[in-house]
Amino acid sequence: MSLLEIKNLNVRFGDATAVPVVDGLDLSVEKGEVLAIVGESGSGKSVTMMALMGLIEHPGIVTADALNFDGNNMLKLSNRQRRQIIGKDLAMVFQDPMTALNPSYTVGFQIEEVLRLHLKMSGKAARKRAIELLEKVEIPGAASRMDAYPHQLSGGMSQRVAIAMAIAGEPKLLIADEPTTALDVTIQAQIMDLLLALQKEQNMGLVLITHDLAVVAETAQRVCVMYAGQAVEVGKVPELFDIPAHPYSEALLAAIPEHSMGAERLATLPGIVPGRYDRPQGCLLSPRCPYVRDNCRQERPALDPKTNSLARCFYPLNQEVA
Amino acid sequence: MSTPTTSVAVDQSLLYPSPYKEFWQAFSRNKGAVAGLLFMVLVVFCAIFAPWVAPHDPSEQYRDFLLTPPAWLEGGQIQFLLGTDELGRDLLSRLIQGSRLSLLIGLSSVVMSLIPGILLGLFAGFFPRILGPTIMRLMDIMLALPSLLLAVAIVAILGPGLINTVIAIAIVSLPSYVRLTRAAVMGELNRDYVTAARLAGAGLPRLMFITVLPNCMAPLIVQATLSFSSAILDAAALGFLGLGVQPPTPEWGTMLASARDYIERAWWVVSLPGLTILLSVLAINLMGDGLRDALDPKLKNAA
Amino acid sequence: MAVVLTARDLTRHYEVSRGMFKGHATVRALNGVSFELEAGKTLAVVGESGCGKSTLARALTLIEEPSSGSLKIAGQEVAGANKAERKQLRKDVQMVFQSPYASLNPRQKIGDQLAEPLLINTNLSATERREKVQAMMKQVGLRPEHYQRYPHMFSGGQRQRIALARAMMLQPKVLVADEPTSALDVSIQAQVLNLFMDLQQEFNTAYVFISHNLAVVQHVADDVMVMYLGRPVEMGPNESIYSRPLHPYTQALLSATPTIHPDPNKPKIKIVGELPNPLNPPSGCAFHKRCPYATERCKTEEPALRPLDNRLVACHYAERFLDGAA
Repeated sequence: MSLLEIKNLNVRFGDATAVPVVDGLDLSVEKGEVLAIVGESGSGKSVTMMALMGLIEHPGIVTADALNFDGNNMLKLSNRQRRQIIGKDLAMVFQDPMTALNPSYTVGFQIEEVLRLHLKMSGKAARKRAIELLEKVEIPGAASRMDAYPHQLSGGMSQRVAIAMAIAGEPKLLIADEPTTALDVTIQAQIMDLLLALQKEQNMGLVLITHDLAVVAETAQRVCVMYAGQAVEVGKVPELFDIPAHPYSEALLAAIPEHSMGAERLATLPGIVPGRYDRPQGCLLSPRCPYVRDNCRQERPALDPKTNSLARCFYPLNQEVA
Repeated sequence: MSTPTTSVAVDQSLLYPSPYKEFWQAFSRNKGAVAGLLFMVLVVFCAIFAPWVAPHDPSEQYRDFLLTPPAWLEGGQIQFLLGTDELGRDLLSRLIQGSRLSLLIGLSSVVMSLIPGILLGLFAGFFPRILGPTIMRLMDIMLALPSLLLAVAIVAILGPGLINTVIAIAIVSLPSYVRLTRAAVMGELNRDYVTAARLAGAGLPRLMFITVLPNCMAPLIVQATLSFSSAILDAAALGFLGLGVQPPTPEWGTMLASARDYIERAWWVVSLPGLTILLSVLAINLMGDGLRDALDPKLKNAA
Repeated sequence: MAVVLTARDLTRHYEVSRGMFKGHATVRALNGVSFELEAGKTLAVVGESGCGKSTLARALTLIEEPSSGSLKIAGQEVAGANKAERKQLRKDVQMVFQSPYASLNPRQKIGDQLAEPLLINTNLSATERREKVQAMMKQVGLRPEHYQRYPHMFSGGQRQRIALARAMMLQPKVLVADEPTSALDVSIQAQVLNLFMDLQQEFNTAYVFISHNLAVVQHVADDVMVMYLGRPVEMGPNESIYSRPLHPYTQALLSATPTIHPDPNKPKIKIVGELPNPLNPPSGCAFHKRCPYATERCKTEEPALRPLDNRLVACHYAERFLDGAA
């Protein structure tokens, strides 16, 4: 049984006629695996994880055939049951460390809060464990930092504290939503190394949400590419980057400056992601796809196994001739 | 591939409604705000068409009908729907006529304090080293005095009457506009688009009035709406104290004052003007809330 | 090629009060930056937060005056320029900002925002201005009806195009781009970068391209200047810097930048610690506390920026990397 199992997840804001922000998503994560979810703005990657954590509020509607974490049906949990899981077995690290921490409380208080709520620790034991956690995330002078307030820390330090809070409950699955986008590149490398080290040490599942393909190439084992709310390709790293099957994956890779090979101009797809008013009847990429054919505009392809990956395309690229 | 234009997919920027339509959609979602707006439209209508709407001349005294109760009570007359006051004047007509004065006082005091308030706030924000603190200390001094007492003092110096009431109320509401404007200006000055305007060579007047000020208007509009209602209250208070508009001019607060002695015998002479003040202030405040909710999200969207 | 910008020893210091009893401290945000920029070329300024690149941007666009040093734009010395000269300088250097959401006036139609530089700086009639605005809009991929729209009706990529169009309205000799694509998605970034290249070819503008994204920089830059704590540590042509970085900080930056095809044989250089406090900079070489090769000399003696192998580098031991070992 997978650690995380998502089948046919749909999230829409509004009534049944509203455009889905997440459209029929299937995803699974095994114990100890690193999965990356890649997509641009509007792809629905963050909303997927928010739906998993139960953080989607009215007027959002979440439906799914299955939304199981560690054997629990996340859709059917009561608030109290959900609170026992979130923050303990299932934890999340957010993008902006400066706003993820409560500015009115010290760092030590916030970590001890997690320990108190989920591990029932208190007093000296909690403080000791909190200092250990800070040391685990490589914060120098951990004991003295316990009494620091978030605004006294740099971006990199704050993100380490946020990670410490996330792993305090010894989670089985850690979701990191763009954890390094707001940080400098050397700090980014440090944080990514830290996340991977912790993941290996505690055998946690790690879901890394990002728009940076290069980060994915260096850290993930599997990757799910999302476009306009759908998963368009799911495959192993580095195979997906070497031989992408879906035109959107290929386009994303081609747009990276690394791949310009000295050409003056970067290869781009014309147009932008479909929004509320112009969702195509057929394949969502059809208005922009360089390989589009007639039936692509009429029908929607399903996510099916192709040579190296699952891809949502009638005419996938780079398929070995059988 | 060539530089793409947005002609491939339907251009979303063309599907957005105009700013006015967007504002109205947001505003009308707040039922209380719409109710407030409707009531105020009624008041404005009465004010503009007072001579034709009022059943009687507000200053005409009907000697035979002193202190007549409202029409639905025993002893009431149909011709005096809301009854008459101690001098036999029709209450409904006086209230309608009074709406003119209240609106006039509200509007003119807001305009008289808004314009200098915005100017002072702009200067305080744009010159934060010396001019700014000087202006703000002045405003602090004004704020330290209780507003009603300050108004009373000003009227006592200038003498009672309509114009002086307006001046007093305007002076008293000045500091809040200055503070609001300055705070908003200081927030906007750090934004990139102001730097971009400076880079385009914009001089001080253009920066102040065309670049920054339109982005500070939302809290100011809300404050202006709310000051409107407190202007009416202040004018009523001054009138009640005998310092504002003088009788026989039918101003709602003055009407309250002159009817003080009749609270037990003829409650309608006191309660009805009071109720009118209450409803008007409530309506304006509800509108102000709706305005703030409708205007704020737009700002957040742009951030 | 004509030199359009010359910077000599640009310095910018701030006085910061440290509370009532502690007196003042000096933040040396910019500490002696010199370079020359030719028309139609791009100089990339690379560094992390706190390196002084934003301060440099403000100094180059005349928003702030440098504490010392000289700046010449299109042959005109900035310091001591009179009013008419300043007006001309204003037209010669423009800027594109990082956040597409903050750099446009939310309450002004974009057509009016594009026309504003012309309104202020030229004597064109309203019709002529409108024509120029429409022409520029077409060039950046906007439609004529967009003139009437407000910024919040556009996507991030479109707003950045508008910002670029506004900066180019006066056809400046120098365009300073402060992280113009950092806030954009990969495919939108590609579109906007292509637009930058197109406009540079069309108007022969010189670009100062500030970024922390080394992959983007490699694609766009002719020359690269790496900054650390207000000072350039390595400066030279694109190919030289990327193929053989000589300063340990440059090497660390390149090593830390993730790539799609990671080379398992290339060891990762681990940098520990964070940027030092600018109020309390380290003695000697500013990088010595984090440098894997620091020696006693590095702690006491500040290295000068000196020429070596086709570029300038500020490291006592740069020679050791000449054969390519990093």
